[in-house]
Amino acid sequence: MGEGVHSLHEFMLRTESITYILIAAALCGFVFFWRFLSERDEDRDYLGADRPGGEEEGQGGAHH
Amino acid sequence: MQFPKVTLERPRWTPFNIVAAIIVVVGLVITGIRFTQGLAATTRLSDYNPWGIWIGFDLLVGVALAAGGYVTSAACYLFGLKRFHTAVRPAILTGFLGYALVVLALHYDVGRPWRLPYPFLVQQGTTSLLFEVAACVALYLTVLFIEWTPAAFEWLGLKRARNLVVRLTLVLTIFGVVLSTLHQSSLGALFLIAPSKLHPLWYSPYLALFFFVSSIVAGLSMVIFEGALAHRYFHHKMDETHRREADGVALGFAKAASWVLAGYFVLKLVGVAQADAWHHLASGYGAWFLLEVVGFVLLPCFFFAVGAREKNLRIVRFTAAWAVLGIVINRFNVGLIAFNYHLPAEERYFPHWMEIGISLFIVTIGILAYKFIVRHMPILYAHPDYEPH
Repeated sequence: MGEGVHSLHEFMLRTESITYILIAAALCGFVFFWRFLSERDEDRDYLGADRPGGEEEGQGGAHH
Repeated sequence: MQFPKVTLERPRWTPFNIVAAIIVVVGLVITGIRFTQGLAATTRLSDYNPWGIWIGFDLLVGVALAAGGYVTSAACYLFGLKRFHTAVRPAILTGFLGYALVVLALHYDVGRPWRLPYPFLVQQGTTSLLFEVAACVALYLTVLFIEWTPAAFEWLGLKRARNLVVRLTLVLTIFGVVLSTLHQSSLGALFLIAPSKLHPLWYSPYLALFFFVSSIVAGLSMVIFEGALAHRYFHHKMDETHRREADGVALGFAKAASWVLAGYFVLKLVGVAQADAWHHLASGYGAWFLLEVVGFVLLPCFFFAVGAREKNLRIVRFTAAWAVLGIVINRFNVGLIAFNYHLPAEERYFPHWMEIGISLFIVTIGILAYKFIVRHMPILYAHPDYEPH
């Protein structure tokens, strides 16, 4: 813990600052992680969700 | 269309059956001792350590690993991911058995088990988190039982009852998700009343969130892990649709699990930052915490992502077992290892062999029940007389 922390205000300033930096870094990191996770998906579907006409790209609508 | 019936001559005394029989016999003997001579004869519980592995493992781990039921049914019926439909029945069955065994384990752990209904019938402790957990577990066990009954009704040929329950699917799914959200998080919140007993690296105001988010990982990983085992040992019971969709389920769930694990890892870091507990990382407990967070959260996250990206089922299935072990370690840490960390070594809890025996007994009962149900009921195949729902 930092030696310069003497008051609740300083404690809150320190912990909240670190948390905000962590969150900002994580949000940026998530973008790259998502690209890493899904860049090889042929149809870029979300978690393998069914899409209307997903396998027949460009034809639109579900085909039965 | 003929009912697909496979009759295979199986040897009765396989190594699994022999080990299971021994565990069941020993478990029954310990059960007799527990209910005739009390907790003192069978456990090392004390005033310092009132919760042992019957809570730390059977309840905390059991509830987390049974989360596959609500995760899979929510994915299929609420988010419309119908490709995961074949995973719903096995996941519901595992969830139902998991919760039933949690309640069974509670009968061993609670001093006066016949008073388990008291919170509902005699005195409602509505300000207690334990009351909320008890209410949610009781209601969710009922929901899981009803969600499981279509398979039993199909097996028994009760068409009208089956069709009636199937019509309730969406309502039951919503109810199940709400109840799971409540009690999975409340199990973590239970430890909020003991900030001085739980090590600062594990204690956090976000404990409820940690437990809920990690339960999603546990549910996804268990569905993949259980699917791999079913593929290996009950392949003959799976129909063509289940075999075809199994790989898609594993890859889709691996992708979701890696995404949730990434979020969980960041939440754990935020927990340390908010408590300003960084200096604890340089201690022995810090090394153990880092092992949990890096070895059983960050690395499984990465390997799930690699497995999903490369469509490599071996990596995905191995990582699922790894993530399940990580959840077990996390619940052990919060409930047992990092709890009462300040006590001298001689006061720390280590389970009596009979406690371990009962935990093994309960897990074995679950496996035997799963085997019986999967062999007899349409869990891994669609009954030809009924439309899938």
